Amino acid sequence: MKLSERSARVTDEKKWIQLALDGDQVAFGQLVTAYQTPVYNLAYRMLGNAGEAEEAAQETFLRVYLHLHSYDSQRPFRSWLLSIASHYCIDRLRRRRIVYLPLEDEIAAPVRMVGDSPNPEAVLVRREQEEWVQRLLVSLPPIDRAAITLRYWYDYSYEEIAEGLGLTVSAVKSRLYRARRLLAKVVQRE
Amino acid sequence: MIRCEQTGEMMSARLDGRLDSTEIALLEEHLAACSVCRAEWRGLQALDRVLASAQTVRAPVRLRVQIMARLSRREQARCAIIGGMALALGTVALALLVLSPIFVGLLDVMGIAPVLISGGLETVTHLLALLGALGRALLVMVETFAVPLACLGLFGLMITLALNGLWIGTVRHLRVGVPGD
Repeated sequence: MKLSERSARVTDEKKWIQLALDGDQVAFGQLVTAYQTPVYNLAYRMLGNAGEAEEAAQETFLRVYLHLHSYDSQRPFRSWLLSIASHYCIDRLRRRRIVYLPLEDEIAAPVRMVGDSPNPEAVLVRREQEEWVQRLLVSLPPIDRAAITLRYWYDYSYEEIAEGLGLTVSAVKSRLYRARRLLAKVVQRE
Repeated sequence: MIRCEQTGEMMSARLDGRLDSTEIALLEEHLAACSVCRAEWRGLQALDRVLASAQTVRAPVRLRVQIMARLSRREQARCAIIGGMALALGTVALALLVLSPIFVGLLDVMGIAPVLISGGLETVTHLLALLGALGRALLVMVETFAVPLACLGLFGLMITLALNGLWIGTVRHLRVGVPGD
């Protein structure tokens, strides 16, 4: 996205937020359109299946709508939104008693990727790679999974990850290293 | 020269561009001398390439519609509850207004109203007497007017429920449509 486009987007976003605070659901709908993919992707990477990711994304936006009055406009809206999504997903993972994937997800209900190629063979190869990445992520504890997701998919700095997850920068550094070491061992075995 | 225990987090930080030139030099000096750490560094680099190439999963088309429908339902429920409470309170207020002449009449009949109006220290004694008298009067009323009072209460409840249903129907009819995709 060009700098001018990014500036225009931020201005529009401030307008939408203000209108949504006044009760304009159409304006809130614009925010949903703008951020549904980042929120869904985070939820999918955290929870590991499409059904739960949809539920988590819905719940995240509902919480954002209900608590929009508490949003600090000094902070980027995206950061605040993804922080809510991260915390919800971490809580959900912690409440899970048994880790399982529903049968329909084991058959791999297709998920759409940003930048999917029209070439079917390339799509299949890419899907297999993505499933492998997802299996790697699922082997991590919730907070480490969140830290890795925010680092690689959202290019968050250590400070942004720390703020989003309620950790110190030192803890983020330690968790990223621990997660990477664990995943690297899995990659080496395979 | 740094030790092996220190290199782990340094290697991870190097992947994130968090090391300065001095730290990078120290790390590279160690990696040149330690095959174990060198193997770990290669493993971390391989993992970094895999994760960096992973794509973003796109949200399903129906997600936005689901979210907006859920918000709309929530707003409708909130309006119905507020409207229902307002109607209920209004009905109670109306009922009290209708019955107020009866209560005022009761006070007059018992000669309490003139005493209250004149005031003075006797008022306290009379207020206590009033409470007693009211209690007795209520018992008499209940005994005499039990059936009519019950009918009035039931009628009021039916009116409240009917008006509440009308209110919910009006809110649903006037609600703003959910924007489509």
